[in-house]
Amino acid sequence: MKLVHGAGAMSLAVLLAFPVVASACDNPRQMDGFKTCADVAKAEQEGGLVLYSPDPEENSAKLMEAFHQAFPKITTNFIRLQTGALYQKLMTERRAKVYQVDVLQLTDMGFVLDFQKRDGYVQYVSPEMTAYNSDFKSSPEGYWTWGSFIMAGLAYNPKLLKPEDAPKTWKDALDPKYSGVINTKIAASGLQHVTWYELHTLYGDDYFQKLGELKPRGFDSYVQQFDRTISGQDTLIHTAQYSAYLLAKAKGAPIAFVFPEEGLTLTPGVFGLVSDAPHPNAAQLFMDWFLSVPGQTAWDTISSLNSPRTGAPPPPNGIATDKIKLLYPKDWQAFLATHDQFVKIWAKVTGVR
Amino acid sequence: MTDPRIEVSGLIVRYNDVVAVDNIDFSIQAGELVTLLGPSGCGKTTTLRAIAGLEDPSAGVIRLNNETVYSSAQRRNVPSEKRGLSMVFQSYAIWPHMTVSENVAYGLNIRKLPRAEVDRNVRRVLELVQMSNYADRPASKLSGGQQQRIAVARAIAFSPTVLLFDEPLSNLDAKLRTEMRVELRELQRRLDITSVYVTHDQEEALAISDRVIVMNHGKIEQIGSPETIYNRPESIFVADFVGAANLIKGSLKSPGTFETIGGLHLKAAATTKQNPTTLALRSAYITLQRDADPGSNTANGTIHRRMFHGDFIQYVVDWPAGQLIVRRPPTEMIEEGANVTIAFAPEHCILL
Amino acid sequence: MTRPNLSIATLMMLLVLLLCAALVIYPVVFIVAESFNIGEPGVFPPGEIGLHNFAAMSEDMDVIANTLMVAFGATIMAVTIGFILAWILTRTNIPGRARLERLMELPYYMTPLVGAMAWGILAAPKTGLLNQAWRVFGGGADLFDIYSPLGIAWVMALFEGTVAFVMISAAMKSMDPSLEESSRVMGAGKMHTALRITLPLVAPGVLSATVFVFAEMLGAFAAAFVLGIPGRFYVVTTAIWEATQSFPPDYGRAAALGLSLFAAMVVTLTIAKMIMRKGSHATISGKAFRPRPVDAGSARWLLMAIAWGYIVLAVILPLAALLLTSFQRFATVILFDSVFTLANYQTALSTGTLGQAFVNSLILGLSVATIGVAIIGVLTWIIYRSKIQGRTAIEYVVMFPQAVPRLIFGLGLLWAWINIPIPIYGTLWLLGIAYFTVFLPLGLRTLAGVVMQIDRSLEECARVCGASWMQQMRSVSLPLLRPGIAAAWLLIFIASIRELGASIFLMGPQSKVISPAIINAWLSSSSELSAAMAMILTVTVFAAVIVLFAVARKLTGNPA
Repeated sequence: MKLVHGAGAMSLAVLLAFPVVASACDNPRQMDGFKTCADVAKAEQEGGLVLYSPDPEENSAKLMEAFHQAFPKITTNFIRLQTGALYQKLMTERRAKVYQVDVLQLTDMGFVLDFQKRDGYVQYVSPEMTAYNSDFKSSPEGYWTWGSFIMAGLAYNPKLLKPEDAPKTWKDALDPKYSGVINTKIAASGLQHVTWYELHTLYGDDYFQKLGELKPRGFDSYVQQFDRTISGQDTLIHTAQYSAYLLAKAKGAPIAFVFPEEGLTLTPGVFGLVSDAPHPNAAQLFMDWFLSVPGQTAWDTISSLNSPRTGAPPPPNGIATDKIKLLYPKDWQAFLATHDQFVKIWAKVTGVR
Repeated sequence: MTDPRIEVSGLIVRYNDVVAVDNIDFSIQAGELVTLLGPSGCGKTTTLRAIAGLEDPSAGVIRLNNETVYSSAQRRNVPSEKRGLSMVFQSYAIWPHMTVSENVAYGLNIRKLPRAEVDRNVRRVLELVQMSNYADRPASKLSGGQQQRIAVARAIAFSPTVLLFDEPLSNLDAKLRTEMRVELRELQRRLDITSVYVTHDQEEALAISDRVIVMNHGKIEQIGSPETIYNRPESIFVADFVGAANLIKGSLKSPGTFETIGGLHLKAAATTKQNPTTLALRSAYITLQRDADPGSNTANGTIHRRMFHGDFIQYVVDWPAGQLIVRRPPTEMIEEGANVTIAFAPEHCILL
Repeated sequence: MTRPNLSIATLMMLLVLLLCAALVIYPVVFIVAESFNIGEPGVFPPGEIGLHNFAAMSEDMDVIANTLMVAFGATIMAVTIGFILAWILTRTNIPGRARLERLMELPYYMTPLVGAMAWGILAAPKTGLLNQAWRVFGGGADLFDIYSPLGIAWVMALFEGTVAFVMISAAMKSMDPSLEESSRVMGAGKMHTALRITLPLVAPGVLSATVFVFAEMLGAFAAAFVLGIPGRFYVVTTAIWEATQSFPPDYGRAAALGLSLFAAMVVTLTIAKMIMRKGSHATISGKAFRPRPVDAGSARWLLMAIAWGYIVLAVILPLAALLLTSFQRFATVILFDSVFTLANYQTALSTGTLGQAFVNSLILGLSVATIGVAIIGVLTWIIYRSKIQGRTAIEYVVMFPQAVPRLIFGLGLLWAWINIPIPIYGTLWLLGIAYFTVFLPLGLRTLAGVVMQIDRSLEECARVCGASWMQQMRSVSLPLLRPGIAAAWLLIFIASIRELGASIFLMGPQSKVISPAIINAWLSSSSELSAAMAMILTVTVFAAVIVLFAVARKLTGNPA
């Protein structure tokens, strides 16, 4: 339960146990299971909500459907692209003064900070944000909030690899026997950025030199990584999303997960409301619902992700976060600064250029 | 004399660098059928299409019914649809997606005539071309000859003042061609429509025309009645192109006497030409066995080759000036190798 | 020559011309601008200009080499397939020729995206159905690995082969029969005649088909995307895609690569046109006789098997593979372990966005085809029947999008339209405009073929009879163009439904369309879901074709 990023930081367990209190609006309205500061009548009048998210389509579709069920007058739409591509599309649109999106999820904290610097987020303090630790939301709060913990380890196909031969650490994944049968995500993935950052801190450039020699295939989504490994085309998943493993296991697929001894790398799914949005009130309503207990429960059931909300239970068949050793950057600004370097290195690792 | 129906003066038509029609003038009276005759590329079709308004001339004046429809000086060019004439195309241009009646009625409908009058006219002209039974047939199911008749019916249905024919019979087989040309001439006579006819077939031109305009390389060679063109050609080209002719080389010995190569002295028709080099003599005007009329040119010859053409026999006769082509009726069968006495009248010897 | 009444007609024509020039040239300007942009990507006009992007292409040499390698290989295979099939179906007397010729169109309707996915399922190493079958029958290692340059070339060739077939069989059909007959009469045998007479005569047609197919292969995207990226094998189109999908995007690289590809395609298409023009005179005969089929004798059944073999490989096998996968819970290694379910179809048709994508695609197909055909009709008439100055230039402008790889044109359209104050970005309107622009060449080519066949005298006669330009168009020209109009409508409709390259950049949350949605599903959902979506798309297209052929037959009154 130790945190890798040095002294001075509180342990995650402590953070989850003692949420920090902040102030929302004066008279939050009580809805079914959550409180909201949004003008619900206006939200329903706006009648629409648009989400940009890097989550797999199926998951976002179900999330949008769940919100729509709760508020049938609001039709939902979303666009799915991997985080890097999503951010680029957003920037292109905003530069041309085209505003189509209400709620934005990014899985790379670097982009989140960049967007905040450009005044991309609009501040809205949800009464539900009190249940989130200050480390998991913007300061001052209300610009962005962590909506999920996305964790990665290693996964393999037990039909091709015996448990005793499986890797135990991130370092073990560099074994030449995985050459040509190992996969990762692409550089546009926030999770991949964090994983690189943390392993780079631990092992330096040499780690990725060796990883590149195994000729891993880089994929846009965890779905492809797991598909190929389950079907036997690949043996080992490097940067295997834990929630994906849970989902696959629930379907009865032959897949096994490894909690590397160094720890699971962690990137947050960061949610925020976008400025100049077409449906501002509906967006606020969504944020309140999403961050609340019913919202987070719905989301975790859909995605098998862990929730950063204080006191939230783990996803179905999953392990609670406070029981996992986690690796994530202490200084997100420093993390942001490494982005270009990471993209170049990762292009070489996955053979893009 | 009434004003001419069609007047063409100084007409020049250029395509890029090529001059297709090179400064020609002619006029056509009401009721005449005038044929533009010449080989491919002589400019006859271009002239016809210019009159129709389907080609843009480069210079000149075209007047129809006393109205200027084209004038380069006045920058005036009346579009085809406003010229009030009619045309039969070489390919017939029958619209496959309409019935025969609809094809024929087209010009009438454009002029917004009342339905009863349209039907009356359609029936009238179909009767004229003997295609009344085909009125409701889809036009795509007609034979070549039938399409041709419909094309003519369509052209005359709205009683135009001028009718243009662009080689209308050249796609028919020989027998149909000869029959149709008679019918066309009959029709034109009966309706008294001023007509301009284009063909490369000199036999056709001679048979049906009131006058013939012979063209070559964009210029007019000669204008005249068929008999004039045939009997008194004014150039070697006309003599050679129209009818079968022998062109005998030589020079003028004295006024009225032509000395051929090979030394024959022949009496020729009077001429104004200063230094004629050729004597033109039609194959049909030569006899081989009969006693020569007094005053004829005579010579001895030998039959070199005989070819039976059905309606006539064509002989190639060796004679001092070379070889002579002679056409005789099929009753005058002479063996190859036989000696013959060639005779022909001086008025048939044209000096060019 | 026919000249319309100056006022209305000319005005209408000028308007249409202006519209098309604007639609086509405007996006290209942005592509060129971005290729010189070495400052912040996507800013117009560019902050800093330089040649860095073009110079940086030296790092992409392997990508360019890959592209050429795959294009060559695919072209050789496609032309071989097309030639053999054209020979068998137009020159021999195997039974069932007419039916086979109709079936040859099917791979075109299946689209390379669907074909690539299906062959991924069939021939992936270890899990491919064909490989599994091979192992069951005792073979050792994999028979095929579709995730390789050869695999990509194979799939591209299979689905482009039908285009080569159409072009080459057209050349073979238009041969003057007496050229071969005189050879036979003089004593040369079938083989000798085939090699010494027929082959050289159809050579120009084959050559021009080869060059045309090569140009198409250069710009192909779907097969390389589905089959190349998993194997870390990039071609120019997928490299362009990669460059635009990260933050910050490398637009400069994308634009520079795109322009080079465009240049290559222009060159090859020009060559194709030159060859066509030179070679066509020799073989088009005036008479309407088709060359006599050669009696294949005992080889008949072998030839028929080859022809049917193509249908199996290009249509039956892939569709079967997709069908199977679409019903699986998840695609497992061993077929017999499969669990079957209808859930994939339920998700494909029900979930708001996916079902909406089908509806959007249909709406776009219907409207673009209908409006497009009307405008293209006028354009065709202007270019081929009027005497307006500069109409040849207009022809080049309208045919322009054919040479620009669809993906790059999509990017140009994105940049062009997002910077306009009219709020059509992210709507179906933008997609409609984009589709219309990229399908102009297709419509023009189809209608031009029909217009050329209408004898000018049919129109001239109407004019001489007194019809104005309008009347002539309405009563003679347009009715005669009907079969061509129906064909153009159908082709544009199908092309719209399955459009990928431009749509992928221009979609918005409310304007999703089907091919990019299938790609998205392939990337981020299961292959079973994308297989279900691909099946629905293919069935829709087939159904549309059947319906539209029946309607077209009724309209023109003769059997299609």
